[in-house]
Amino acid sequence: MEKKIKCPNCQTIINVIGEPGHQIKVKCPACGSEGVFTFDAVYSNSSISSNKMVVLNKVSKKYKDLLALNNVSFEINKGEVFGYIGPNGAGKTTTIKIMIDLINRNSGEVYINGILMPEGKNKIHKLIGYLPQDVGFQQWRTVNHALMTFGRLSGLDKNSANKRIDEVLKWMNLDHIRHKKIIKLSGGMIQKIGLAQALLHNPELLILDEPLAGLDPEGRFFVKDLIKKLSSNGTTVFFSSHILSDVKDLATKICILDWGQVIKIGSFDELRTEFTSENQLEVVLSKNSGKWNKVNDIQGVKKIIERNSNEFIINLDKSIDNDEIIHKIINEFLRSNCHIRSVGLLSPSLDEIYQYYLKKGGGK
Amino acid sequence: MMSLSLIFIDELKGFYKSKVMIALWLIFPIITILIHYLTPGTSGEMPLSLFTSIIISSIGGLIASLILTVQIIHEKDARAYDLFLIRPIKRWYLLVSKFFAVFICVTIAISIALSVGIAIDLFQNEVILDILLPGIIDSFVMSISIIAISSSFGILIGVVSPSIIVGVLIVIFIGQYVEILPLLPAFFGISNSALFVTIVGIIITIVLMIIALIAFEKKQF
Repeated sequence: MEKKIKCPNCQTIINVIGEPGHQIKVKCPACGSEGVFTFDAVYSNSSISSNKMVVLNKVSKKYKDLLALNNVSFEINKGEVFGYIGPNGAGKTTTIKIMIDLINRNSGEVYINGILMPEGKNKIHKLIGYLPQDVGFQQWRTVNHALMTFGRLSGLDKNSANKRIDEVLKWMNLDHIRHKKIIKLSGGMIQKIGLAQALLHNPELLILDEPLAGLDPEGRFFVKDLIKKLSSNGTTVFFSSHILSDVKDLATKICILDWGQVIKIGSFDELRTEFTSENQLEVVLSKNSGKWNKVNDIQGVKKIIERNSNEFIINLDKSIDNDEIIHKIINEFLRSNCHIRSVGLLSPSLDEIYQYYLKKGGGK
Repeated sequence: MMSLSLIFIDELKGFYKSKVMIALWLIFPIITILIHYLTPGTSGEMPLSLFTSIIISSIGGLIASLILTVQIIHEKDARAYDLFLIRPIKRWYLLVSKFFAVFICVTIAISIALSVGIAIDLFQNEVILDILLPGIIDSFVMSISIIAISSSFGILIGVVSPSIIVGVLIVIFIGQYVEILPLLPAFFGISNSALFVTIVGIIITIVLMIIALIAFEKKQF
């Protein structure tokens, strides 16, 4: 690897070449002063764009006979909120643990901020905040003691750690439990303390494994709000969840995983595009004359489903300009002396999209 | 190294005021006094301090290994190590800190008990300190060796055992044989046994700790 360093004496830029972790003697060609330079023991990949926070390239993991991850690849840009969804046992937690080096992978590459894991883990672990699915603490610790230790191990000095604990606990409305023993806290509280420890050192990448599981509605609202705020401040957030409505609300990119394979990646709109073979129009009438059967004859109307006497779902052919069809439908209802209360295109839920892709993916 | 000292001080603080340790601070001296009053014949043949150190160190060794095994398995199961391991620290810091925290606390507890035994020997039986001293040093070294071996054995079993029950059974049934290994030189009549006990104790402790650290390093969390 090659590095450009500045001579501390004369500020001349010097090119040095060496291996990661090695020390070399350097002599400044301008002023002749000598020194020792140590290369970082990390392996950077310059081909990875500086905008990428996470890159997984064909990562596979096998547990005895079970292939838990099969060539999983995805990229997360800096500042993105990445929702990772899939059924139980799909490999979500395995992916996360490989990313942060809690378990080994069998093949493939993981880059965080352009640095290969696990070789560069000491550097990367300073950038990461992690909330495990089942967060656990040593039970003899108080909340303050646990947070102080984790803050300091993440590189904060005692005063900064103390200040951050104060800030984070106040922010999370948990300052009243600061000196309580962890063993005396409820599961939901422990989950929140888990989140607090992940935020202490202002991580650039926040990895949350099922952060909303086990939280009450107020807690869920708080965490969702927090993810939005962090994302708006430039923090990259990776989170797995079973609560698809929350993923839809939060994620700027969604990845569907099944049986260790990535089935689909994209924004919600991108996922929806393939899913909707036809658009659905919902029409609610306040007065139904019952004389609107010519709607069936409009080109592009494929099927009309009556929910009840004044509510209809009209399936539209996606290949024909929907705006034109909708205009004709509204005109036809008005001509038939029906009073329209509302008209709107129905959007498929993430649940429907998720089920569609899982079936399409042909889960084993 | 700052992280190592931080974790070690944490473990020490957590352990010295744990319920188990508070009990040991009190129970060991009480056992010493009970031994003196319940077995009055013993003090005639063998100084109380020596007799006590054999009893207390074997109890202390067993307790140290049980504490470490149960605590490590419990913390593994509770996923308490995940939050440490995603921070820029070395994995071995966790085990080495735990080893020294328990080893130091149990050694101090045993030393207190031993001091009580010495005090009783000196003031009640009017034993001369010069006569007693070599025996005291031998028994103290032996006690420390037993605690060190037991602690490292407890760490190893804590790391490799799949469950608390299995770990406890291994510690109880196999640990007692492992912890008496430093007494072997004395059985074979080797003189200067304090030195041999120390050497054997250090070697076995280091070997057990290295195996435990390798197993922990390879462990998938």
